[in-house]
Amino acid sequence: MSPRLRAVLILLPCLFAACGKSSGPDLSNTAVVALNGDVESFNPVVTRSMISSEINSLIYPQMFELTFNLSLGRLEYGPALVKRWEFLDNGRDIKLIIRNDVRWENGVLVSPQDIKFTYEMIGDPDVASPLGNYVDNMIFTNGRFDVDRSIEIVNDTTMIFHFASVYPQQLFHLTVSPIPKHIFKDVDRKAFANHPANAKPVGAGPFKLEKWTRHQEIVVSANQKCTLPGPGLLERVIFRVIQEPTTRLTELKKGTIDLMWPVYFEDVKGLQEQYADIKLETLPPRVYEYIAWANVDFEEYKKSGGKTVRPHRLFGDARVRQALTYGINRKGILDAKLGPYGELAVSDFSPIFRWSMNTDLRPYPYDPQRGRQLLQSAGWSDSDGDGVLDKGGVKFEFSLYYGIGNARRAYAATVIQENLKQLGIVVHLTQLEPVVLYEKASSKDYDAFLGGFNVSLAIDPSNRWNDISDPYNSAGYHSDRVSELITLGLRAPNENEAARYWREIQSILHQDQPFTFMYWIKDVVAINRRLKGTKINTLGILDRIENWKIGDPKAYATF
Amino acid sequence: MLRYVIRRVLASIPLLLGLATCTFVIVHLAPGDPTQLYVDADADPRAAARLRAALGLDEPLPVQYVTWLKNAVTGDFGDSLSKHAPVTEIMAEAIPRTLLLASLSLAVNFAVGILIGVLSALNRGKRLDHVLNSAGLFLYSMPEFWLGLMLILLFSLAIPVFPASGFQSPLADYYATWDYLLDILHHLVLPVFVLGVASAAATARYMRGSMLDVLGQDYIRTARAKGLPESAVIGKHAMRNALLPIITLFGLSIPFLLGGAVVVETVFAWPGMGKVVVDAIFTRDYPLIIGCTLLSGAMVVLGNLVADILYALADPRIRY
Repeated sequence: MSPRLRAVLILLPCLFAACGKSSGPDLSNTAVVALNGDVESFNPVVTRSMISSEINSLIYPQMFELTFNLSLGRLEYGPALVKRWEFLDNGRDIKLIIRNDVRWENGVLVSPQDIKFTYEMIGDPDVASPLGNYVDNMIFTNGRFDVDRSIEIVNDTTMIFHFASVYPQQLFHLTVSPIPKHIFKDVDRKAFANHPANAKPVGAGPFKLEKWTRHQEIVVSANQKCTLPGPGLLERVIFRVIQEPTTRLTELKKGTIDLMWPVYFEDVKGLQEQYADIKLETLPPRVYEYIAWANVDFEEYKKSGGKTVRPHRLFGDARVRQALTYGINRKGILDAKLGPYGELAVSDFSPIFRWSMNTDLRPYPYDPQRGRQLLQSAGWSDSDGDGVLDKGGVKFEFSLYYGIGNARRAYAATVIQENLKQLGIVVHLTQLEPVVLYEKASSKDYDAFLGGFNVSLAIDPSNRWNDISDPYNSAGYHSDRVSELITLGLRAPNENEAARYWREIQSILHQDQPFTFMYWIKDVVAINRRLKGTKINTLGILDRIENWKIGDPKAYATF
Repeated sequence: MLRYVIRRVLASIPLLLGLATCTFVIVHLAPGDPTQLYVDADADPRAAARLRAALGLDEPLPVQYVTWLKNAVTGDFGDSLSKHAPVTEIMAEAIPRTLLLASLSLAVNFAVGILIGVLSALNRGKRLDHVLNSAGLFLYSMPEFWLGLMLILLFSLAIPVFPASGFQSPLADYYATWDYLLDILHHLVLPVFVLGVASAAATARYMRGSMLDVLGQDYIRTARAKGLPESAVIGKHAMRNALLPIITLFGLSIPFLLGGAVVVETVFAWPGMGKVVVDAIFTRDYPLIIGCTLLSGAMVVLGNLVADILYALADPRIRY
């Protein structure tokens, strides 16, 4: 190699290393957060992903200051845009007193008209808001949401929400961030979701959108005009979209991002041992994984238009489902794939809701022997000696579906297959693209699948266990007592009374095992120690982001 | 030639229409309902039905197709289901970034590939030939995904010389123009290496074979016998003919400008078309899938056309 070529090869990287932000803005008071996906838009009425909701909450005013009380396990409401509130008509209606000093970025006052308009959009079928269920318990006329009868504006600071009945989530359903009516009032409802203003939001929160480059970055800067609660202490927050986990982790290790999640369990040890600048925190569990068993014969059920409910040929008997849960080493899967960042599940009631938990229930242990006994008592035996259980000429053999791209579930599926083989059950593993799997689950076209569920901050089991026809009742489970308890729980005047019903439901689900509830997942969040004031909690990663600040304002490295 | 180009462009219209129709039918018949993805799991199940109606997905397929076609003719490819924005707007944002990455990669691919191929052919059987062949084979055998990650770990983390991800540094828009361009260039190095140099190995193999074929021809022997300098023999006589198969390869590589960078864009968080296409497929974003497919189809047509024109330019015997 000639000396000249060698010199060029040595100097080239130095040149590149030297180039960068010589003329850029000062980033010393800027935090950088990595996202694994982009937001869809900046309109809280039409967005659905958790990350969109979180980022919108920085930009739009919040109706209440929400706090999740971990020791009690319940959501608590404090004043924000709503200064005061009181329940009227024995709790059926809610009167809100709104602050009169909160302004949109363009100087217009945030008013009750904005709040009413926001709910009008949510309830309009043409808008098709994913939050449509928030108005379901308000007033309907001729089958349509009647915004004028549901929301009464008394004066510039007072409004009353009218509900059809009393239920525990009334206040929760008033937590939607209002959008400015004066920006959207003339929009064609069918075009509302794609309104250009959704990409250039006018908010009133602690941050305002400075720049959005799709699939790359979202930059928000402190909104100095914010009075609710006040401008962010950070000058800017940059959200960088980095889908590939290894690249994301590399950026974290380099110090070019300050916060990322989730960190995979396998990466935790390396971060703890080699990167003292990075601290790890966990999110309280709101996501669980499960195996859905078809409790009823879905084919027959659909063919009869929902009239014939016959137990599924394999999983129709609760003893069989119990046997399967006993026969699957859930603890083994948990230890291998989540370690301390997961806990065995007993039902789909998240442990974060302490007040509602039935603490008498214990997870089923791994006990194949007990599983065999239960299968035998349900009439399953290996009558022809081929190693596979059978009953009435039917072999215990089925396909277990699971989504492509989730290594944990792929591992779990393999363990399940091996465990159930020990009981004399043949499991065929079938990977499906997640969208196809969702469709199979909601159209009830399966025998068993491995899935996950993210529970809401408000307890409402009616979507899951009330009626067989419900698309989210993947198991096709029905129990008259459970349906009755759901009605009682949702109409209970307070959480203490609702808790009685929720505990009984958990007990019945634990007994009936419509699903094999696998484990709750606690996502790991990695934070560079230079970032102070973070408050990772049940409400999300970005909760109280206006209080974040940079402890060590050393220059931010830009490669 | 001009008439030929016009004829080819006109002939591509029914081709693209056929492509759009097939794509429309296939994506709509594929299993998976997008509205299931677009409502919260804990939302009212009726929300999915409401959304389906609002998006027109509850209409019969022929009605949806006619509506789409009517709009498409006027240049309106509809709104993305998942991104709440017009398809054309989303593609217009992503295309320039992918074109930049892929065209540079393509240039590097062919420049390096041709150079290595020629060097290899001229040094056939010698040590340099073996070294270049082995290095090329090694790079070509590396999966792009793995090679990208290894380069990130090596040149971003262990020896922090290049950025690990992104199209530009955060807030690079505020930089002075020269810094801004350098910053983008800085971010291009690793992805272009993965896309360009790794593919150059294949180009080099073609070039080497083609060059060896040409070098064995009588007219090369004649040129040498006439006493022409070696640089003229290789540069003027051999290269021109040896490049013909490479031109075909080049034309066929043009569609790759938009779609081929998917893996590299994912690894390096490069916000281009590759990511748009993959996201659109996974979210069953029908209008966006069809828009991207049409664009890729147009690139294939264009690529073939460019290849044919370059062929004619390189070989005066070819006339259309």
